[in-house]
Amino acid sequence: MKIDLKKVGAWFDDRLAITPIVRYATKKEVPQHEHSIWYFTGSSILLFLAIQIVTGIMLAFYYKPTLEGANDSVARIMTEMPLGWLVRSIHSWSATFMIAFVMLHMLAIWITKSYRPPRESTWMTGMMLLVVSMVFGFTGYLLPWDDLSLSATKVGTNIPNAIPVVGKWVTQFLRGGDDVTGDTLTRFFLFHVCILPLVIFAILAVHMILVQKEGMSVPLKDEIAKKKVPSLPFWPNFILREVMIWLVLLGTLMTIALLFAPSLGPSADLMAPAPAGVKPEWYFLFLFQTLKIFPANMGPVTGEFVAVVIIILTVVAIFFLPFLDNKPGGKKGKFWTYAGIFGLIYAIVFSIWSLL
Amino acid sequence: MRGIRIVILLASAALVLSLGLAAHPGQAPSAQATKAPAKIETPSPSAAAPAAGQAKPAAKAPQGGVASAPGATKATPAAKAPVKRTETIVPAFAGIKEKTAVIVFYIWLWLSIAVLIYFFRLWVREADRVYQAKYYEPEPSPRKDNPLPPVLGD
Repeated sequence: MKIDLKKVGAWFDDRLAITPIVRYATKKEVPQHEHSIWYFTGSSILLFLAIQIVTGIMLAFYYKPTLEGANDSVARIMTEMPLGWLVRSIHSWSATFMIAFVMLHMLAIWITKSYRPPRESTWMTGMMLLVVSMVFGFTGYLLPWDDLSLSATKVGTNIPNAIPVVGKWVTQFLRGGDDVTGDTLTRFFLFHVCILPLVIFAILAVHMILVQKEGMSVPLKDEIAKKKVPSLPFWPNFILREVMIWLVLLGTLMTIALLFAPSLGPSADLMAPAPAGVKPEWYFLFLFQTLKIFPANMGPVTGEFVAVVIIILTVVAIFFLPFLDNKPGGKKGKFWTYAGIFGLIYAIVFSIWSLL
Repeated sequence: MRGIRIVILLASAALVLSLGLAAHPGQAPSAQATKAPAKIETPSPSAAAPAAGQAKPAAKAPQGGVASAPGATKATPAAKAPVKRTETIVPAFAGIKEKTAVIVFYIWLWLSIAVLIYFFRLWVREADRVYQAKYYEPEPSPRKDNPLPPVLGD
């Protein structure tokens, strides 16, 4: 029996509307200017997310989210499964790369002020994606269930306690009780492999639709001067450039994962005291140090409470940044640019300080 | 010429990587690591037994994939043993076979990247040239009142 491939293609096209998407990709144009390089950070995040999904599924085949089995199952992945340690390393490093690129992407948008109207919602969904990525990292950090991850999670889940009214409830909800136990592990695993992926896909879909709807932004000075910015076709000119960057990033990730594979500590002991030098993942270091510099008591409230309130207000301010920076071309715009640069310097200095 | 230089650069990176890999102390399989798939720091007698027990099924397990049912099934009795591990597992190659396979794979990976980038650069250059030449853009209409491109017979 001869199969007419054209007919099969047409059948799928009728149902999935592939032609309009292809037509859109061929007609789409990307502005070309001195900041175009930052466009590539967005697509690189998708590459690392895809790697995370693939390696995460591979690890989930053997991982056991129980108090007795968690550490042993990771040990088994590392010692028994062919190249299991490499798969785990790629998963861990791609998480690091992904969060680094999300931060870089957000920072580039902040500095170039690409969040200005009509792209406020794109910025807000991007900010949500950054938070979800960090929560991904936080929940994933506990899963190997060694002393360091247990202590870091104890510290991390204790922070919401400082929030008035709802704080205690949030901590209990995260831990599945008053303390970090096997229930916390099961809960974090569920968040990591079920709830957070659903959330990230939903927000990512909205973010991508908004990026396509509003198009890519042009530099502010060109927009003010009403200068026509030259552009390139998305297909094949832009996408091929992206693929080249993906290939180099993929090679770099694989190499780093091979040379700096993470080790696995002994199984966590719930009764043991916290080991010395407990540190969260690198992207939480500056927050960790911020909490540490506040004194125990500041008048009627605790220092931790003040620190948590400042952090929450800062996150809320960054979330609503497009509305706060409503005159990006003026003095207000400059203030917010310097605020972004200050934030970056602060994060770097405090992260280094935390490591010392 | 620039493309060739990039290929040479990436190929050299692959070579350096493979040499570095061969000499990398963290990854070099020690005598202990050759027996067991991962290097275990400060082994205690209680923990050495399950580690050695796990080495056998892993050695029989097929290479090149994480899902290895035979290895996984045979390792279950060792996992059942209620011996608490007290040492850190440092990742290392399971043996010389695995190490060679990984080195070959990484060289292949970087060479493939170099070759693909070389061809993509040619493709991009051609695509840019075609776009700048406005090859696919319709010719402007000779009639001012008709913005559509000219058709046969106009």
